[in-house]
Amino acid sequence: MKKNLRWKLILILFVIVLCIFLIYPPKDKIKLGLDLKGGTHLVLQVMTDDAINAETDQQIARFEEVFKKNKITYTEAAKEKPGRFHFKGINADQEGKVRDLIDQYTRDWDYSFSGDTVTFNLKPVAEQFLRDQAVIQTLETIRNRVDQFGVAEPIIQRQGSDRIVVELPGIEDPERVKNLIKVTAVLEFKLVKAGPAPDEETLLQPYEGKVPEDAEVVKGDPKRGHQGYYLVSKVASITGKDLRTVRRGTDEWNNPAVHFTLTPEGARRFEKVTGENVGKQLAIILDGKLQSAPVINSRISDSGIIQGRFTPEEADDLVVILKAGALPAGIKYLEERTVGPTLGADSIRQGLAAGLVAIFTVMAFMLFYYKLSGINAVIALFLNELIIFAALSYFKATLTLPGIAGIILGIGMAVDANILIFERIKEELALGKNVFSAINNGFSRAFSAIFDSNLTTIISAIFLFQFGTGPIKGYAITISCSLVANLFTAVFVSRFIFELIVPNNAKRLSI
Amino acid sequence: MDIFKKTPNIDWLKFKWIALGLTTLIILAGILNITLGKGLKMGVDFGEGTLIRIKFKEPTSVSDIRKRLNEVGLGSSIIQETGKNRTEFQIRTVEIKSTRQDQNEELESHQILANKVIEALQKKEDQEKLAQGLLDLNNIDHKTIASLLSQVFPEKSEELAQKIIEFRRQNGLITDWNSLKKEPYSLDDKVLSFLQQKTFLGSMTVLSRETVGPQVGKDLRKKATQAIIWSLIGMLVYIAFRFKGVEYGAAAIFTLFQDVLVSLSIYSFTNREINLPIIAALLTIVGYSINDTIVIFDRIRELKRLRRKEPLEKIMNLSINLNLTRTIFTSATTFLAVLALFLFGGKVINDFAFIMLIGSIEGIYSTFFMSCPVVLFWNKLFKKKK
Repeated sequence: MKKNLRWKLILILFVIVLCIFLIYPPKDKIKLGLDLKGGTHLVLQVMTDDAINAETDQQIARFEEVFKKNKITYTEAAKEKPGRFHFKGINADQEGKVRDLIDQYTRDWDYSFSGDTVTFNLKPVAEQFLRDQAVIQTLETIRNRVDQFGVAEPIIQRQGSDRIVVELPGIEDPERVKNLIKVTAVLEFKLVKAGPAPDEETLLQPYEGKVPEDAEVVKGDPKRGHQGYYLVSKVASITGKDLRTVRRGTDEWNNPAVHFTLTPEGARRFEKVTGENVGKQLAIILDGKLQSAPVINSRISDSGIIQGRFTPEEADDLVVILKAGALPAGIKYLEERTVGPTLGADSIRQGLAAGLVAIFTVMAFMLFYYKLSGINAVIALFLNELIIFAALSYFKATLTLPGIAGIILGIGMAVDANILIFERIKEELALGKNVFSAINNGFSRAFSAIFDSNLTTIISAIFLFQFGTGPIKGYAITISCSLVANLFTAVFVSRFIFELIVPNNAKRLSI
Repeated sequence: MDIFKKTPNIDWLKFKWIALGLTTLIILAGILNITLGKGLKMGVDFGEGTLIRIKFKEPTSVSDIRKRLNEVGLGSSIIQETGKNRTEFQIRTVEIKSTRQDQNEELESHQILANKVIEALQKKEDQEKLAQGLLDLNNIDHKTIASLLSQVFPEKSEELAQKIIEFRRQNGLITDWNSLKKEPYSLDDKVLSFLQQKTFLGSMTVLSRETVGPQVGKDLRKKATQAIIWSLIGMLVYIAFRFKGVEYGAAAIFTLFQDVLVSLSIYSFTNREINLPIIAALLTIVGYSINDTIVIFDRIRELKRLRRKEPLEKIMNLSINLNLTRTIFTSATTFLAVLALFLFGGKVINDFAFIMLIGSIEGIYSTFFMSCPVVLFWNKLFKKKK
């Protein structure tokens, strides 16, 4: 064997071994997309405006307190829109002091005076930061919830500025998990001042129809068997943040319920509130809806129980969301795709069938028309497929149904290079060149056309990858892998086989 | 073996006017159909309704399904039979304006429609059983089955659920309880009697369900347009760069547009919808047709150096003729691959395979008849005779 042939052989064998190493075992190495293995794909949007809104409310409350402490008088504090609020009716001679206070207490807000009004505007940088944080926190919370719920290999990723993609393999009945993800899960324990009443009017009668300053009205959650309206204290005794552990258990009637323990700080507050209010009702409120309102029988310190006619699944889900914490902003579903196990299995079967038919028809055609040289193309084709799957495994790309279509299309295109070369060799032979130089010329003259044509398709695949989503990305990957692999197999490997098998002084070539 | 004894001597450029006429005719018909006729149908990917694929236990028909949907006012949905045996169908709800409250609710309203479709197609007895609190074993997922079984068989609930899902994976639907007893599933009587208490075998199963809200739909539309425009520009720049001539770039642009327009025109006469895979197919068609054109241009570039005296028209004909076998064969192999995909690839990928079929034929045509004449026209218009 010639020396340069030996090196080529070593390189080719190395590539083959590397590919097999990357692919084996295929079950673990080749990841299937949701359209093939079944599952749910969700795209949701984080309502980051909520975070800005909350920040605005917080700032208003904060400055109300600061001004009160520093004896600054004003007539009105109002939110104009998320990220913008004002204090009206400030005394002209207090303006300087107000300026000092604002400078001292906030860097994230711009402010300006006009007459007796100071207007606050959230700085764009701060706003961007808050929105970003809201998305990151939401993502983390969703990840926690999904992990707690128990889904094998979920994918939870940020997409663009405020979107999150959630992929849940094996979940084909997404209603439950969708609700689980969507609930904001703000848990509050508040003292009941009055209620339940059938409507707000009856509830507020003893208060002359007005909600007292330190109270608010909440509605019972009909799902939990509470129909009426309750008047509860505005300030929460404890919130979801004070929970230390949560687990599913049962209440004294053996119904599903949620048990919790509190952090030391939470326990101290809870002990105080329950000790001072024995005999009163304590409302347990989730996302603004009253779940239950048990009577405080005695001082409770660090543990408790949430009841509310739960089904076992509902109790489980409540545990999950309480453990994972509340969402910093609301979310909205934008896209939902669910594929059941049957369709995925069908798609794999059909994709495989189409692929096998394609590969064998093309091979038969090449062998029939190019005779022994066709073997060359067949080897190149096999190697091509091997490299595609190895590349999928290496890049950790998922194989989707359009991806399979890309591979099948690649089979047709892969032999293009072989055909170009073989036709060129034939042409050279027809011109009376000897076999050796015909092969040489065939390869070198066909190369520019092969290179150009593969590259143009790769260019379009790159843009498809850039702008495409999910399955289309899968297509762009397989088709471009196939084309790159093609340059190696149809040009390098195929030429090596000719050089290895056809002697330099050959008189005839089976082509 | 050769299909041509010697290099054929066909005067391809003679047909340039006929070809131009034919192309114009197809595109005109397509444009008329798209603008005034039934138009291009946008699919779920672009925010239009919900696509539901359903498999029934017993054979049924499109008209029967439509009758049942009519009862809930959804008779205008697009219903197609997909699998064999008249048991598999796909239904796409057509948006109904009155069900929309506002943008925020739109995805939900799509889903409400989808739920209505599924409910309408369920048999009365299924609905009664659901109302009694029984679960439909043909529709619940692995996790739900496992958690149900864990009440009585905590140790092997995962394994049993896996078996039931595997049965559905292989057979689509569970049609009778006894089939679960058979190998390799072999569920024992204790498990079966528990399942019979808690679940029932619904008359249909939802194979897949896709809803894209208006915002994502709009985004996908934008991204698809961007992908098309950028890849066209990318290819053009590359070709103009490689062939060092505006006329080749221009010819390539023209061929590209004619590829897209002719394929879309023909596609518009079918009942198929435009979804993301169709956009990918269009780009592949373009890339593929450009390949063929490049191979010819590459030959022209080579021959122009060798035969400086011959007129361009003659060189072009010769280039096409020299590459005739190659063009026919590569198109044939691609065509075979796409045909396999079309015939055996299944319903989900069928539209993709169909437009690829059109494209692979159209690609040959544009290579033979369209790309070279454009170079000539360009030269006639913009280059002075030496």
